[in-house]
Amino acid sequence: MKEFENARMEYEETPVPEELNDRVQAGIRQGKTNRVRRIWKRRLGTVAACFVVVVGALNLSPTVAAAAADVPVLGGLFQVLTVRSFTNENEDRTVTVEQPGVTGSDFAAQIDAEIQERVDAKIAEGEQVIAEYKDAFFATGGTQEDWEQHDNKVSVTYEIKSQSDTTVSFEVDSTVSIANAYQERTYYNLDLAENKELTLADVLGADWVNICNESIKAQMAAAEEPSVYFEESMGGFSTVDETTGFYINEAGNPVVVFPPYTVAIGAMGYVEFEISK
Amino acid sequence: MAKIREEVLTTFLVKEQARFYRLAYSYLKNREEALDAVQTAVCRALEKQDSLQKPDAVRTWFYRILVNVCTDMLRQRKRVAFVPPEALDAGSYEDPLPTDGTLAQRVDALPAEIGTIVKLRFYEDLSLKEISAVTGVSLSTVKTRLYTGLKKLRVSLEGVKLT
Repeated sequence: MKEFENARMEYEETPVPEELNDRVQAGIRQGKTNRVRRIWKRRLGTVAACFVVVVGALNLSPTVAAAAADVPVLGGLFQVLTVRSFTNENEDRTVTVEQPGVTGSDFAAQIDAEIQERVDAKIAEGEQVIAEYKDAFFATGGTQEDWEQHDNKVSVTYEIKSQSDTTVSFEVDSTVSIANAYQERTYYNLDLAENKELTLADVLGADWVNICNESIKAQMAAAEEPSVYFEESMGGFSTVDETTGFYINEAGNPVVVFPPYTVAIGAMGYVEFEISK
Repeated sequence: MAKIREEVLTTFLVKEQARFYRLAYSYLKNREEALDAVQTAVCRALEKQDSLQKPDAVRTWFYRILVNVCTDMLRQRKRVAFVPPEALDAGSYEDPLPTDGTLAQRVDALPAEIGTIVKLRFYEDLSLKEISAVTGVSLSTVKTRLYTGLKKLRVSLEGVKLT
């Protein structure tokens, strides 16, 4: 142990710089300010969490939602709610659903029923695709172990695009992902005052086809890289019609959406064109 | 309560600063870096003071922060340091520990995870249990490392209490 006494003495002879005290004091000041900042961040986080709880409660409880709908300012905001949200997992796949619902009128109820039907159909379809894929996988010599590596998913989610006092526009996305992903998007544009689904004609007037086509072609030509869009002769964009999907953005303009590969190369994904009114 | 804790903490940090500097210096062997390490550790201690539950444990709690800061800096330095191949002599692959020099120099040459334990035990007088808390490794690992360290240092183990 004597040996260590010498070593320790040598160690303790390490000269200590004069500015050490200043540096320690600086560290103390710095740490104190950082701590205050952290505490505030945490408090803001709590406030944000409270908002989440309010929104969550609205979605979970019809009573709370009904109460909020009666509040004049909040009324418009809470027309689209998540009516069903669940995750169901088994060894073959995970199903995740965020199903939107519209409240407020008979028309809304009708739309709800349609969404419900579509979501159910989509889940059934996804389950079927996955079951078929599983059969094919094992039939071609796949092992149980390899199968478990697959992360098959069926998911339905939605996104509200815009909302005014009387209209609401939202997107429902359904995805089945196995080796590839099969995605389908459906847009709902509802006029809750008139109790009807909005069409492009409602938004743009009688000449809507020409307005859209001109605007889309101009936007394609003006693109930074126009070659990403297919030529009309090659099966690219020719005209919009009643089946063309669209939503209404915050500015109130319709935004026409084409699925991947329909008018442009796949890397472009969903292609959107805003049509100014 | 929180105020008292901050008071206890700052008093402790100011009072023991020389010890911290020496420990940091023993790792980094560089005056500026050791100063940086102490400042960073002090700053982090004040910032995270809420994680200090028992004020009696302030010593081990702070050493843990300091040791982490120092090893982080060493690791970072390793990432940027460029050693030309010719600077590595063949012998260095076998036993990097010099057999001569004073014991303190040999302690410095120990691998970091062993050196830490030796230094905390013999220079800072921490108990093995405290060292286990500082380094975050189990008590039995602390014991085996200390044992290995002492063997490498070729210190007679007589009279060394391993408990």
